[in-house]
Amino acid sequence: MTVTPDDDFAAAEYALGTLDASERATLAARRLRDRELDEAIRAWEARLAPLLEATPEIEPPRDLLPAIEARIWGAAPRSPVDAAFIALQRSVAFWRAAAVAASVIAIVLAIGFVAREMSRQPAPREYVAILQKDGASPAFEVTVNLDKQELRIRPVAARAPPGKSYELWIIDAKLGAPRSLGVIGDKSHAANLFGIDPAAVESATYAVTVEPPGGSPDGKPSGPPVFVGKLIAVAP
Amino acid sequence: MTIRGAVPGELSAGKGDDLAQLLSLIAGRDAAAFSTLYKRTSAKLYGVVARIHNRGDVAADVLQETYVRIWEKAGEFDPVKGSPLAWMATIARNRALDEVRRIRPESLDDQPDSLEPAAEEVDPLAARERSEGLARLIGCLQGLDEEKREAVMLAYYRGLSREALAKRFARPVATIKTWLHRSLAELRDCLGS
Repeated sequence: MTVTPDDDFAAAEYALGTLDASERATLAARRLRDRELDEAIRAWEARLAPLLEATPEIEPPRDLLPAIEARIWGAAPRSPVDAAFIALQRSVAFWRAAAVAASVIAIVLAIGFVAREMSRQPAPREYVAILQKDGASPAFEVTVNLDKQELRIRPVAARAPPGKSYELWIIDAKLGAPRSLGVIGDKSHAANLFGIDPAAVESATYAVTVEPPGGSPDGKPSGPPVFVGKLIAVAP
Repeated sequence: MTIRGAVPGELSAGKGDDLAQLLSLIAGRDAAAFSTLYKRTSAKLYGVVARIHNRGDVAADVLQETYVRIWEKAGEFDPVKGSPLAWMATIARNRALDEVRRIRPESLDDQPDSLEPAAEEVDPLAARERSEGLARLIGCLQGLDEEKREAVMLAYYRGLSREALAKRFARPVATIKTWLHRSLAELRDCLGS
């Protein structure tokens, strides 16, 4: 083991569960790039794992499996909360118009992209960004799989102010105006990146703004970004 | 430092091999295998999650997130590094902890008061059947002072943060941090011997 004693304690507390939200997020992001730290965390998880044997089982609610399967297949809305959230998003008129336009572009670009991707088989290109106000307060974790052209954003510590929504934007000179990647609910949120230049996806700034409920009414950020971050490549 | 016998016993023997096989089928996108895996493991994982989240709806959401992640990451499971159930339970715990820290950031409300009655507490020292790994870990835990051992248990099973532990034991957070670091160092040295 070659991590510093401080990192080993951080790994130990990560596995034990006593770190606060921002410490957890910082460590979770660091372990993606730092193999030794990742191994230190795994070692601590393994040391403590026998305790799980003593955890008595509890039957979960019955209707969970169909809900999980629906999420996996992407067929049906996820949970009632997510369904309401999706409905809210869709009520915004611009969203629909944008979606139609984007899907046309997406098909055209996807063909080229898939063709290019099939000609070489690189390791999955995964990226992570921690969106924060300042260095000490990570608020959202963004992960991007460029091969699947999929982005996921997960709130770490942030909750939208009452009566407001958080909205995620991708900002890059190649794209022109900031482009919305959707309203962020309380849970992890996925957005597809079809139709967005992969080079722009890699180099862009990701920003979260505070918007009226359901998102910006005109498809443009209403105010300055509250949380920002850029992607870093995850070590394969 | 290497981990010897990472997770023996219930978490690895016998049915663990079947679970490993199910995970490899799931990595190949086998829906029936996923359904079987869920039926075989969900009560265990819910037991882990529901002790950290007292609210049933939150615990159910965390369990959902956990299984979606298991579906996505099944191909990354490495039997050399531990048992399938330990791998899954670790995903569940990490999801549950991320969520509990997000909902109750830092020193907010008093988690100790919201704890279930003592009868609900998990006491590994009272476990009737112990794998070799659990027996070893219990041996090491018994070397800790009672309060420090309790702090470790509350953190592991109930997801208490340093701040919540400080409240629970009426000690400054700095003292709790020192407790945790000493306890964890003692456990590491004890297990490594």
